[in-house]
Amino acid sequence: MESMSPRERVIRTLEGKPVDRVPCFCAMMESRTANEILGKPLISAEFITANPVSSFFMNTLPEKLTKPIARWTLINTLHKRNVAQAKMGFDAIWALYDDSWHFPDAKTIAITSGSIFNMIPDGFGDMSYMYRSPGIKTPEDFEAWPYWPDADAQAHKVYKYFKKFAAEYGENNCIVGYGFFGGLQESMNWTFGIDKVPIWIKKHPNYVNRYLDIIEEIHVKTENAMLDAGVPVVLITDDFAFKTGPFLSPKMVEEVFGHRYKRIIKNVHGRGAKFILHSCGDNTKLFDVFIGWGVDGLHAYENTSNVDICNEKKIHGDKVTIIGGVGIDYLLTERSKDEEIVDKVKELISKLGPGGRFMLSPVHSEDSMPAHKLQVMLDAVKKYGEYPIAVS
Amino acid sequence: MKESIISIQNAVIDMKDEDIKGLVQRCLDEGVTPIEIIEQGLSKGLDVVGERFDAGDYYLADLIMAGEIVTEATNLLSAKMSPADIGKKGKVILATVHGDVHDIGKKIVGMILSASGYEIVDLGADVPSEKIVDAIKSTGIHLVGLSVLLTTMVHNLKEICDMLTAAGLREKVKIAIGGACCSQHLANEMGVDAFGESAVAAVGIFDGFRRELGQT
Repeated sequence: MESMSPRERVIRTLEGKPVDRVPCFCAMMESRTANEILGKPLISAEFITANPVSSFFMNTLPEKLTKPIARWTLINTLHKRNVAQAKMGFDAIWALYDDSWHFPDAKTIAITSGSIFNMIPDGFGDMSYMYRSPGIKTPEDFEAWPYWPDADAQAHKVYKYFKKFAAEYGENNCIVGYGFFGGLQESMNWTFGIDKVPIWIKKHPNYVNRYLDIIEEIHVKTENAMLDAGVPVVLITDDFAFKTGPFLSPKMVEEVFGHRYKRIIKNVHGRGAKFILHSCGDNTKLFDVFIGWGVDGLHAYENTSNVDICNEKKIHGDKVTIIGGVGIDYLLTERSKDEEIVDKVKELISKLGPGGRFMLSPVHSEDSMPAHKLQVMLDAVKKYGEYPIAVS
Repeated sequence: MKESIISIQNAVIDMKDEDIKGLVQRCLDEGVTPIEIIEQGLSKGLDVVGERFDAGDYYLADLIMAGEIVTEATNLLSAKMSPADIGKKGKVILATVHGDVHDIGKKIVGMILSASGYEIVDLGADVPSEKIVDAIKSTGIHLVGLSVLLTTMVHNLKEICDMLTAAGLREKVKIAIGGACCSQHLANEMGVDAFGESAVAAVGIFDGFRRELGQT
């Protein structure tokens, strides 16, 4: 078979058509890894969170004056992560652009969909962010939330970013675009608190519907913007499960989110593009639900959860493209040996490659992932992943 | 068993939160003591919820709803109980280790342990190891649950164990861990006493600790 472009390889894999080799997907990338690849200087966390000068301004001046600094830091970080994936040579790169966040003080990010994150050091000298708390605890909080996203404004920014990014990197990579941070259930978990979501669903269904209307709208609009900009595949992250199983019952997932995801995916397909859903944890009981929504690919099949990726390939490998397989708990850390990564890649290719509809990928992003380990994984896929599969 | 107690069990099992206040009052009116309501009604109902969760018939959201109902009922009952009856299984320190702010799982564990008769001392999230050890020393509590989600923060578990060893307390303190990056392998590696795969497992683990420490 003739050699394919990364874009062709990825799209055909998502369609279940024969390809020249197993594609390799980069599950987003954290700053430490991106900086290693790009050789760029680190952006010290102290730049904002601990530096007395910048934190004084962030804490005392109105946000409209300080937002450009924090925003520049964040957007620059996300862009570097996207570029680093492209430069490494992955077939599919997970490119995130979200310009909607607010910065009420030097250590706080207000996610427009309703939650509070911390700006934190990632342990390697870079800025990162971590969930802190719900932004909305009562219906009164819901009405008073000052940061609801402007879907049209965000879509406009997403279009501008991806138009430029696709022009520069779309030729040699299949861009998998992600234009608003947080899927439908995941955003709800952050906003109301995961331990309160079942109570909101039961006691405040109208607020839940209003909330999901907002999140659905911004996903549809940012996805349309990315597709207009030439992005061929879009993705939503929505962690529906924990390591032992789903958070909500499959019936409730279908009732609350099913009709919305079906609309989102139908819109993407109507534009001639593909849709990937990322969901951490053991989604074994939800895979049929996701497939019913029309997803083309599913990521992540976390090795530390109870999900069995090989069994899933047997059961669902003719209906959906399986994406994942390489653990970040050990293999893609400093602690592993290179040959262990190569052995795992060969094992995954031999078990999951036959029949197609498989993209090899880390199961998650991770701050402590050295670029070298990712490179070993990527090189091994290119070396051993050609069809017909010859490794055993 | 009285029908009113069975109704309380069923309210927890079926997650009928709208019924619980009336059912508790009915039990009290019939002369059932608060301790009997907790032990025979709420806890038994929660046991069934736990069994259904283990069997895969119930989900985490169901655990939360059942826990919410039990909390609502125990709040009503605690005003009518003597201090000696509250948290009579003993006290448990819960904390998420330093550098990690994830505390949702820990809160659910706290809710279930509380419903099972433990009194929870929740130190919060991102808690320095010194603070956890100081709390163990100052309170004399020997049952500890530590939560960690981030692989980059697991070293704190060993640090806490080492600090307890240095203080001559390690043998007296039982530590269980839970969280996304935890496993039995990690528990062995870090030198803690148990790993809980789910929130429901916590009750069995801490009941076991009490037996090992001779507290039952």
